[in-house]
Amino acid sequence: MAKIGALGVLGDKQAWLPDIPKTPLMRRRMLWAYAFVAAPIIALIVFLLGPILFSGWVSLHRWDMLSPVSEMPWRGLSNYSYLLSKDPVFLKSLGNTFYFAIGGVGANTILGLGFALLLNSRIRGRAIWRVLYFMPVITAPLALAVMFSFIFDRNFGVVNNVITGLGLPRQPFLSGPNQALLTLVFIAVYQYIGYYIVIFLAGLQGIPQDYYDAAQVDGAGRIQEFRYITLPLLRPVMLFVVVTNTIGALQVFDLVFATTGGAPANSSMTVVLHMYNTAFKFSRMGRASAMAFILFAIIMLITIVQVRLLQDRAYGD
Amino acid sequence: MLKKVCACLLLLALLIACGAALAQDTTLTMLTHWGTENQLAAQQAILDAYMAENPDVAIELVTVDFGELRTKIITGRTAGISADVYHFYHLWLPDFVNAGALAEPPQDSLTYINDNVAQGTIDAVSSSDGTTWGYPTEVNPYLLVYNKRLLAEAGYDAPPANWEELKEIAAAITQVDDTGAISQLGFGVIAGWDSGIVHPFSALLFSNGGSYLSADRTTAEFNSPQGIETLQLYADMVASGGTDPSISGLGDFPSGTVGMVIMAPWWRATLRAAEGIDFDTEVGVAEIPVGPSGDAPSSIAYTWLFAVDSNSPNKPAAWDFIHWMNAEHEEGQGSAIGDFLVNALGAIPSFDHDQAAFAESMSDHYVSAFVAASAYAQPEQIVAGGQEVKTLMQVEIEAVLAGMTRPEDALASVEMQANAILEEQRMMMEE
Repeated sequence: MAKIGALGVLGDKQAWLPDIPKTPLMRRRMLWAYAFVAAPIIALIVFLLGPILFSGWVSLHRWDMLSPVSEMPWRGLSNYSYLLSKDPVFLKSLGNTFYFAIGGVGANTILGLGFALLLNSRIRGRAIWRVLYFMPVITAPLALAVMFSFIFDRNFGVVNNVITGLGLPRQPFLSGPNQALLTLVFIAVYQYIGYYIVIFLAGLQGIPQDYYDAAQVDGAGRIQEFRYITLPLLRPVMLFVVVTNTIGALQVFDLVFATTGGAPANSSMTVVLHMYNTAFKFSRMGRASAMAFILFAIIMLITIVQVRLLQDRAYGD
Repeated sequence: MLKKVCACLLLLALLIACGAALAQDTTLTMLTHWGTENQLAAQQAILDAYMAENPDVAIELVTVDFGELRTKIITGRTAGISADVYHFYHLWLPDFVNAGALAEPPQDSLTYINDNVAQGTIDAVSSSDGTTWGYPTEVNPYLLVYNKRLLAEAGYDAPPANWEELKEIAAAITQVDDTGAISQLGFGVIAGWDSGIVHPFSALLFSNGGSYLSADRTTAEFNSPQGIETLQLYADMVASGGTDPSISGLGDFPSGTVGMVIMAPWWRATLRAAEGIDFDTEVGVAEIPVGPSGDAPSSIAYTWLFAVDSNSPNKPAAWDFIHWMNAEHEEGQGSAIGDFLVNALGAIPSFDHDQAAFAESMSDHYVSAFVAASAYAQPEQIVAGGQEVKTLMQVEIEAVLAGMTRPEDALASVEMQANAILEEQRMMMEE
C-alpha cells in the first residue's frame, strides 16, 4: 500500500507510473495507445481549454479585436464590475434570459412528460404522433424562426387571423414589448419539446410493468401509480431534462437573433445576444468575455443546485 | 528500382509545384456588401477588366450583407485572413483607425482624391487629425420618398412640407381594417435596426434645427428641445396611427402599401424593380419636412470608402487597384466604380469626373432630387464608439414607439450613456 507521508502517494512511483512493458512489441503498442489518447487531449486543449483560458485573459482587458492581442490594455476586474453595476442592458438581458429559461424549462418538462405519458399509452397512430412531435427538433432553428415571424406577424400572421376570427383583439406578439419574450418561449418549446418527449418516453419505457401490476393488485388508481411509481422512477430522467434544458435555455441565441434581434427596446434581449452585439458590433471583446464568464458561473451554480435537489431525491432514498 | 523512380517523380512534382507557387500572381481579396446578382455581375466585370490589363494580379471578390460587414472585417483580422481591400461605412472609420487596422494611402492617391473630390466628402473619410484613409465612393443624402398614388387617394396632391402636414397626411393614408390589421401605413419607421438613427431620426432632427453631436464630436447634443420634438413626432404619429413599428416601412414601400419613408438614392434599383409601385409615375421625392424649430429643410448624408487593410501583404497592388477603379481613364467617360454606383445602384458618386460623366444617368426625377440635396445635407458625424451610441439610441426610440417611455426620458437616458462612451473612447486614444 502506498504511504501517505513525507513522500505522499506520488512519492511511490508504482502508484502512478504505468508499468513499462518488457517486450519491444508491447512498448510500441503502448506508444501507439498514448498517441491515440493524446490526439483528443491535444484537440481539447487547443480548441476548448485554450480558448476558455484566452477568453478569461481577454475579460481582464479591453480588446477591440482589431488591435494585436499583445497591445490589449489591462482593465483588471472593471469589465465585471461594469456589467454588474452599470450596464442596464446586461441586467435586463439577464432577467429576460431567466424568464426564458424558467418558462421554457417549465413548459418542456411538464408538457414533455404529459405528451410522453400519452404517447406511452395505447393511442392510435402512436408512431405517427412521435414523428410529428420530433419533426421540429430536426428543423433548422433559423428556418423555424423565420416561419414563426410570419405566423405571429401582427398584421397578416395566421395566429392573429384566428384570434380576430374568434372576436378577440389583434396582438402584437413579436413586435410587442410585453409579448415578444413570451412568444419566443412558445417557439422554443415548440422547437424542443419533441426531444424531451423522446427522453421521457425512454424513461417511461424503462419502468418495469411489474410495479404497476403490483400497485393495481394493491388497489392503486392511475393518479397514485403516477405519484408513487412513475414520478419517483423518472427522477433521473427529470434531472437530465431539467439540467440540459436549463443550460440550453440560458444560452439561447439563434432564435432571438433571427426573430426579434432583441427588439423592441431590448424587451427580448438575452445575455448571449447582448454578448454577441458587445463583441462584434461594439468591438468590446473584453466586456463580452466577462459576460461569458458571468453566464458560465450562473449556469454552473444553477446546475449544481438542480443536481443537488433532484439527485438527492432521485438516488438518495 | 521502382521505388527510386517513384521518389524521383515525387520530388520533381514537388519542385514544379513550388515553382508554380513562386511564380503565382499577386492575389487580392476585396470585401464589399454589394451582393445582389446584378451587383455581383457588375463588380466582377470591373475586376475582370482590371485583371485583363494586369495579368499578374488576381482579385477575389467577397461580399456579405451590410449587417454582417463589420463583423466580417473584425473576425477576418482576428483570424489572420483579412481582405486586402475593404469597402465600408465611414461611421466605422474612427474605430478602425484607432486600432491601426488601415493602411495610409500613397501620396499619389491622396493628391488624386484632393483634386477630384469635394472637401466635405474628403472630411467624411478622414480621421480627426485630417488624415484621409481611402477613396470615398457613394454619397447618400436622405429625402422623403413618397407614393404619389397613396397620397392622391388620401386627398393630397403634394408631399408634406412640415411636420404638421406630415402627421396629417400619414394619418390619412393609414388604413386599418375591422380586425385592427394595418393594410396601408402612412409613414414608415425602422424598428430592430439601428440605421433608424440615420433615417428617419437624424434627417428629421436636422430638419428641425437640431444636431446629433457637438461640433468637436465630444458630447451628444440630441437631447435638446429639437431632439425631444423629433421623438415627440414619433409618439404623435403612433398615437394618430400615422406610423406603426410593426410595419417595415422600407420592406413594404416597394409593395405599394406604405405612403412615405425617408430613404437614400441607392434605393432606385429596388424601386425600379418593385411590382407594387410604378417608379416613373408613382414614386415621388421631396425635401425632409421642416420641424417646428427648423427654418429650412435639411438632411443627413453618409458615405462609404475603399481602403486597404494594414496587414495586407500587397498594399501597393491594392492601392493601385483601388485607384484604377476610381480614376477616369478617358476624359468624359467616368470611372469604373462611378459607372457601377450610378447605373447599378443609383447612388451619387464622390468624384467630380463621375458626377459629370454620369450626370444624365442621375437626371431622372428620383436621383436628381438627391443630387440637389447633397448640396445642403449635413454629413453624418463619425466618432469612435459611434456605432454603439447609435444602437443605444435605437433602443430608446423603440421604447418611445412602444409607449414605454417619454421622449425626454429616453433622450436623457441615452445622452448619459453616449457621453460616457465618447469620453471612454477619448481616454482610450490618449492611452
